[in-house]
Amino acid sequence: MCGLEIPTNDRVIVGMDSLDDAGVYRISDDLAVIQTVDFFTPIVDDPYAFGLIAAANALSDIYAMGGIPKTAMNLVCFPLKQMDISILRQIIQGGLDKMKEADVVLIGGHSVEDRELKYGLSVTGFVHPDRILTKKNLSVGDCLVLTKPLGTGVINTAIKGGTASVEVIERVTQLMAALNRDAAEVMNKYRVHACTDITGFGLLGHLAEMIVGSGCGLELDSENIPILPEAIDYAAMGMLPAGAFNNKEFREPMVEFSYSVNPLMRDLLFDPQTSGGLLICLDRNEADKLVDELHQKGIGESAVIGEVISAPLGKILVN
Amino acid sequence: MKEIDARGLACPAPVLQSKSAIEAEQLNTVRVVVDNQAAQQNVKRFLESRGFEIALEKDTDGYYVIGRCDETPLTEPEAAPAAEAGQTKIMVMIATDRLGYGDDELGLKLMTNFIRTLKEMGPDLWRLVFVNNGVKLAIQNSEVIPDLKELEDNRLQILVCGTCLTHFDLLEHKQVGETTNMLDIVTAMQLADKVINI
Repeated sequence: MCGLEIPTNDRVIVGMDSLDDAGVYRISDDLAVIQTVDFFTPIVDDPYAFGLIAAANALSDIYAMGGIPKTAMNLVCFPLKQMDISILRQIIQGGLDKMKEADVVLIGGHSVEDRELKYGLSVTGFVHPDRILTKKNLSVGDCLVLTKPLGTGVINTAIKGGTASVEVIERVTQLMAALNRDAAEVMNKYRVHACTDITGFGLLGHLAEMIVGSGCGLELDSENIPILPEAIDYAAMGMLPAGAFNNKEFREPMVEFSYSVNPLMRDLLFDPQTSGGLLICLDRNEADKLVDELHQKGIGESAVIGEVISAPLGKILVN
Repeated sequence: MKEIDARGLACPAPVLQSKSAIEAEQLNTVRVVVDNQAAQQNVKRFLESRGFEIALEKDTDGYYVIGRCDETPLTEPEAAPAAEAGQTKIMVMIATDRLGYGDDELGLKLMTNFIRTLKEMGPDLWRLVFVNNGVKLAIQNSEVIPDLKELEDNRLQILVCGTCLTHFDLLEHKQVGETTNMLDIVTAMQLADKVINI
């Protein structure tokens, strides 16, 4: 998009110039709409599960902005000549079931014939203009809370390679299909300073986006970062997705690892996530309370993973 | 030295290609060429997990991983339980919940007795695999659960076919063993010294 002129106006609250999860447009003093779109190629073999995951992933951006998703449209690319139409039916059924769970209505969509199957949603949500959460607005002393374990990228690669066990596939499918709604509902009771969801850039990639130009740095405690245990085993077997290496190459200059952080852990912190958890930044005094309440709501792997520090500026220290 | 050309392939394909080659040909030295750093790192990791010493190189044609292993390469990741030296590895695969054909009631009794007596094989019994109707022996209400648990406590690896559990809608009722897939079963067959099918 570099070099292109993007028209805007004073109602655009979050637009193309920011690195945020979705765009926000003010309708009135007490209402803004959030818009987002996300679609991708299948990551699991079961079409229904793929539908669930693609929908949960697309809806997540609205939750990460502090909003509530309301309507959605299907985006479908389907190889009609190679695949039975019943597969598409199962995918869309998965998407619909997830939308139902999120109280979102499907109001349209568009499909094209394509050589490669893709599915996702365009989602619209509502938010009060004063309650929008972006990636900016960190303050020194804030804590960072992560609500889902990392490692889905590695496990999806192991699934592609036919080496993942049935139990792991089940576990990771459930994790990716889980809505971030419950986590967002709990989060919205607290005075949150910033929020995003962890997706393709991996934990460190998204944290890097948060601190660029923020005037602060971050310190993470790698022992407290929730990670799927199987992901470590698969990473050791060479099942890291290429995206993890790309993320690492791009953002590693901003990261300083302590010598004690093992190389597999370093790579997993760059592992691209599908439908990852929320990363919530809030006052230290509130962070533990938030984690307790998330645990009570069944979001059991939520944890405080680090804090915002004043120096070194623009760096992420990982201990 | 065997050279494996995995250029033009995306992860995890270079790892899978290296895996097939070292397993099929029992290679002690190998040189894998790939066209990107991600694949180079992954192949390096994989070979290390199989006990190889690694050197990395790079030129205009690609990225190289050179692996050397003084002993026979490990056939599984190092963490997996390995059989002790000098011991025969017997794999028993059970595809039914009844022993033999004919009277079903008798078949059930015989199967219970068979599982109870399996421990007499001692440490040679290496893996017990349940597929098809056999998975019903590893779920709630199966009479042999205590016996299977005892075998498992004695470090026998019990594998239960996930596709079969899913087919019978029993995934949540499994009481013993690890859920497994066909790749694990086929690999186990290949590694075993003796496979007994029931």
